[in-house]
Amino acid sequence: MSTWDCDAVVIGSGPGGSTAAEVLCAAGWSVVVLEKGRNHLIDTEPPHDPLRHFANDELAAHRRHLLGPDPLLEPRSYRRSAEDGDRLVVGEVNNLPSTVGGGGVHADAKLPRFREEDFRLRSERGPVDDASVEDWPLSYDDLEPHYAAVEELFGVAGEAGANPFAAPRSSPYPLPPGDDMPMAVVTAAAAARAGLHPYRAPTGVNSVPNDGRPACTDCGFCGGYGCPVQAKSDPVSALQRALRSGRCDLRPECYATELVLDATGRRATGVRYLDLREHPEPATREVRARHAVILAGGAFETPRFLLRQGLGGDLVGRFLTYHYQTFTVGMFPRDRFPDGTGGERGRSVTHLHDDLMVDTPELRRAAAGAGLPWVRGGVVEHGAGQMPVEEAVTYGAGPHHLDSMRDSALRRRMWVFTMQGEDLPQGSNRVDLDPSVRDVWGLPAGRVTYAPHPHELVASAFAGPLHEAVLTDAGAEVAFSATSPPQGDLDVHLAANPLGVAPASRHVMGTARMGSDPATSVVSAEQRLWGVDNVLVCDSSVFVTSTGYNPTLTLAALAHRATTLLAGAQPSARATASAVRRRKRS
Amino acid sequence: MTIGDPAWRAAVAEALDAAVPGSVELGALDYVEQLLGALDHDPPRIWAAPGSWDGAGGDRPAGAPSWLELGPWERQAWERRIEGWREAYERVAAGRAEEDDLRTVHVHACEGTYGDPAYGGNRDGGGWARIGFPEPLHPPAREVAG
Repeated sequence: MSTWDCDAVVIGSGPGGSTAAEVLCAAGWSVVVLEKGRNHLIDTEPPHDPLRHFANDELAAHRRHLLGPDPLLEPRSYRRSAEDGDRLVVGEVNNLPSTVGGGGVHADAKLPRFREEDFRLRSERGPVDDASVEDWPLSYDDLEPHYAAVEELFGVAGEAGANPFAAPRSSPYPLPPGDDMPMAVVTAAAAARAGLHPYRAPTGVNSVPNDGRPACTDCGFCGGYGCPVQAKSDPVSALQRALRSGRCDLRPECYATELVLDATGRRATGVRYLDLREHPEPATREVRARHAVILAGGAFETPRFLLRQGLGGDLVGRFLTYHYQTFTVGMFPRDRFPDGTGGERGRSVTHLHDDLMVDTPELRRAAAGAGLPWVRGGVVEHGAGQMPVEEAVTYGAGPHHLDSMRDSALRRRMWVFTMQGEDLPQGSNRVDLDPSVRDVWGLPAGRVTYAPHPHELVASAFAGPLHEAVLTDAGAEVAFSATSPPQGDLDVHLAANPLGVAPASRHVMGTARMGSDPATSVVSAEQRLWGVDNVLVCDSSVFVTSTGYNPTLTLAALAHRATTLLAGAQPSARATASAVRRRKRS
Repeated sequence: MTIGDPAWRAAVAEALDAAVPGSVELGALDYVEQLLGALDHDPPRIWAAPGSWDGAGGDRPAGAPSWLELGPWERQAWERRIEGWREAYERVAAGRAEEDDLRTVHVHACEGTYGDPAYGGNRDGGGWARIGFPEPLHPPAREVAG
């Protein structure tokens, strides 16, 4: 009997883990993927077709935790700093889906690349007091072939050249852009009149049939929902290819609890996990890996996993970043939104602009006024309002209800610019283990300690009035801005919505940062854990800075690069093979 | 007073309509009763399978599952959640509602008015119709919006 169950164990089946599994399986490795959550995405048995559990159902997705995690089973806690005591709130904090496919299931799959400067922020812009602004240990050029490869893998739809600030590309987008949201065309035109440079968002959503999956139907249930027709490609495309290789064993409801190390403590030989198909006493099982263990549970769960064993050093969990979100809301007259032109149909976001990521005299002045050397904003998403249940809950109870719903300021008449503001890394912002809150299986809950740096507040204050003017020019009767986490009186926010005091962003990054020096990083440039170098981290934990861009494509490109190096494969050849397969199918 | 008896239903209906006027006519009380009894069914009526309610023109394939299975841990969480709601509605029915109970009633009134009709509320999509929300698509298909 073989000593080993597989060549590699991957913990987590989201975009990072599924990309890693696909690369390793394509290189001939056998892979076991452990996923804590349920499987609603893809049949684990051949031919690995979609399970089709997802529907246009606001209750299942947004009110009943279909995508997990259920906060009654897996609570998390939040505080702004140690001055808040052990915690401010307990419950649903930064919950990315805990399900097969991970964060790729709920996202509307905006997949921009980072720019060259993002990898050299300290060199290009310089240090900032009370922040740890560092260069990444790799460059955009190092990652570019892997960006191209995962764009092929995910079938990214986009328009090369449309964004004047985008980094150079070695290849066009695999698919053409999808349908525009009608209102996004209106706000993009207004943004252009203000001197901004809006463009069609690159998305991992099929604009045409691709990879055996249909084109997006513009059903309207996109961001926050599993796709009913699997037009969203990440991570189903990677998982399906890995499974169809015959070398991937996907195990849902398997909660990785412990890394198994050899006698030296410097090499992982496997992973222990709880088999959550068993209740109420789940068995602990072990899967043994010949070559490597890949951690891809996300920037919240990966540090939690390492901290339980004291692995990775004192920096594990530190330099947690989100995107500091600034929401600029425009309320439009009803006739500006003819039936179906709001968010009720179509993808969630079809247009972006990046202008506040670029160095300008205006941003320099705003920074100087606050005593900062520079400031960067983030990508700005042009998006729609709420769905009806969420809208109804927001209005509160009482006789006004029906008038509010018919007026529909938050659904039919609303359009929102969301700036995913760059969040500077701070050592005090972190994920650690809550001293007393535990999950239902008895393991310490993850705790977030987070407060924004003044940089984020300055960028937000700059963006708000600018975007209010754009929305007003687009026809909004009223425009205003708000942030997450919220500013102002904590007690007021706690009374209105206790969990709302925690960052709403699902872009969680930076808790096991990569670097060239073990003294200042958790993993190497090849994403290997210092001290246990056959353990790789393949999620957004490794980000050195948060940039102001959606993280998924970059974390997948990094996973692609790390596992390509691990397996000794060549990314350019793989990308070419993928493109050839796609052309043959079409 | 026990769940489902006439006095309980009358008191809860009054609370639901106070939170969201017209919600009971649209099925919010049925929604609450289905939710509180969701675990009495196999599979539990927590997550509707695609097409459970297929609208006026829909056509769910014969034999297709109408509810998704809960995992054992999910069932444990839902048992706890529903038990809490049953106690809340008992207080509502007894005239002893607390602030959190009324918040629960409001949320359920919204869900039972504007959620998918498979869950027992939003009768015939009437909640969507009264606010001009276009009926969700099943199966999702490309159509001209509006």
